[in-house]
Amino acid sequence: MAAAAAEATTDGGGKMIILISADGKRFEVTEAVASQSQLISNMIEDDCTENGVRLPNVDGDILTMVVDYCNMHAGDAAAAGDTMKASSTEEELKKFDAELVQALENPVLFKLILAANFLNIKSLLDMTCQRVADMMSGKTPEQMRETFSIENDFTPEEEAAIRQENAWAFDD
Amino acid sequence: MAPPPELIDNVTASLPPDLISEILLRLPPDEPEHLFRAALVCKSWLRAICEHGFLRRYRAFSAFFTGSKSCRETPPPASPAPQRCPSPPIPPFAGPSIAAMAAPSSTLRTMIAVFCAASGCDHLDCHGGPFRVVFIATDDDDELVKASVYSSETCAWNKTVILADGYQTWQERLQAITRGESYRTPYVQPRRGALVGDEIYFTLRNENAIIKYNWAANCLSKIDPPIRDVYDISLMEMENGSLGYACIQGSSLYVWSRNASSEGAAEWVQCWVIELEQMVPVANRGDEAFVVGSAEGVGVIFMSTGVGLFTIELKSRRVKKVEEPGVYSSVLPYMSFYTPDRGTLLSLARTH
Repeated sequence: MAAAAAEATTDGGGKMIILISADGKRFEVTEAVASQSQLISNMIEDDCTENGVRLPNVDGDILTMVVDYCNMHAGDAAAAGDTMKASSTEEELKKFDAELVQALENPVLFKLILAANFLNIKSLLDMTCQRVADMMSGKTPEQMRETFSIENDFTPEEEAAIRQENAWAFDD
Repeated sequence: MAPPPELIDNVTASLPPDLISEILLRLPPDEPEHLFRAALVCKSWLRAICEHGFLRRYRAFSAFFTGSKSCRETPPPASPAPQRCPSPPIPPFAGPSIAAMAAPSSTLRTMIAVFCAASGCDHLDCHGGPFRVVFIATDDDDELVKASVYSSETCAWNKTVILADGYQTWQERLQAITRGESYRTPYVQPRRGALVGDEIYFTLRNENAIIKYNWAANCLSKIDPPIRDVYDISLMEMENGSLGYACIQGSSLYVWSRNASSEGAAEWVQCWVIELEQMVPVANRGDEAFVVGSAEGVGVIFMSTGVGLFTIELKSRRVKKVEEPGVYSSVLPYMSFYTPDRGTLLSLARTH
């Protein structure tokens, strides 16, 4: 079935590719959509996507978000030839990205970073890493640990030494 | 449905070091405490920040901060003061002036520059190395331009040097004025100086002259600007290590470079002329762009018009609005920041 789907073509003539998440969920996307992942783009070039692409370290719920993101952004690339359409798409894209990134919280945010890194989707990696950096802004180390569920592995003495030496940075 | 706590911990704890760096590189560069706070979150973050080359990447990633501060009379204090270095004592001639630095006054004309003095340093991550403080001012008592340099190595100020103005005493100057000769107090302009090798350059109000202070040789002299009748200018170090001078005349941006001629004497060479009329918006017919600063090393000039504060990249000629309109006299782009000693941070990062 996967092979049949993989050989199917869209109305636009693009070849379809099946992505398979760690938990076995299957996503059928066009080559243009999948090619935003440098990893998959390389696989397409090497002609090894016939039986679907297994992504053993990306869960279905995360892959859903990645596929949505790539669908939106592939639409932009395809519409680039049509000036009117491209400009409206650009606004939609900004809105989509802003909404996506605003909704992201730990741990989905970190899973998405891992997926974007694994799949090598630079724009998604940029956006998600920037989201974490933005969330850190203005927070104390305790608040950052709480926000991102990070365990404090400093001893009280080590922490006190750093704080004392750099007191100016820790004045709240 | 919230995932079990152990899964949450696994996700954040499992981020590989290069991804932690990717995140930390994006912390805003305008608040230097961000990196210190992040370093105290956990040891893997500390290691990422202390990793060799991270600060370089961070400063390169931030390229230059597009935020800006307008400077009227004195430069704003550098971000967090060194905690271990003793503050340089007040230079011998500058008692009242330096005291006034804390409460800027419109009557004092004092410029101070603090810079790394390690030879061959790229200044992307210089810590604890030797530094110099250059102090240059127009002394209100005798109306002379004076300069001195402090060395962190000798912990002392050099002998104060005075810019020769052709008069030996104030009386001589007064007589000249009575004779009808034109005289204006040679005020040092409150504008960022440019450090080029062993020399630091500032401007004087009079004829827009440039004062050159060779801090290594402790020698103060005056050089002519390439254009005399334009007052909104910026001095900078050019890519080839020469002094640069940028100003707008008519509707064009001019950039000169002071190069050694074949005879060995220094001369101004025009290296950029960029027509701005179609590129930089102005508020109305009478409004025009003027130069208010530059970002060294990245070939960027700041210009102000009634529409806002703009940057222009010399090479690409790309113009960008970075601030709303305001009174900008000297823009100090935020290129980097000083971080105090990181002794404990570094030793902890290395041992864990």
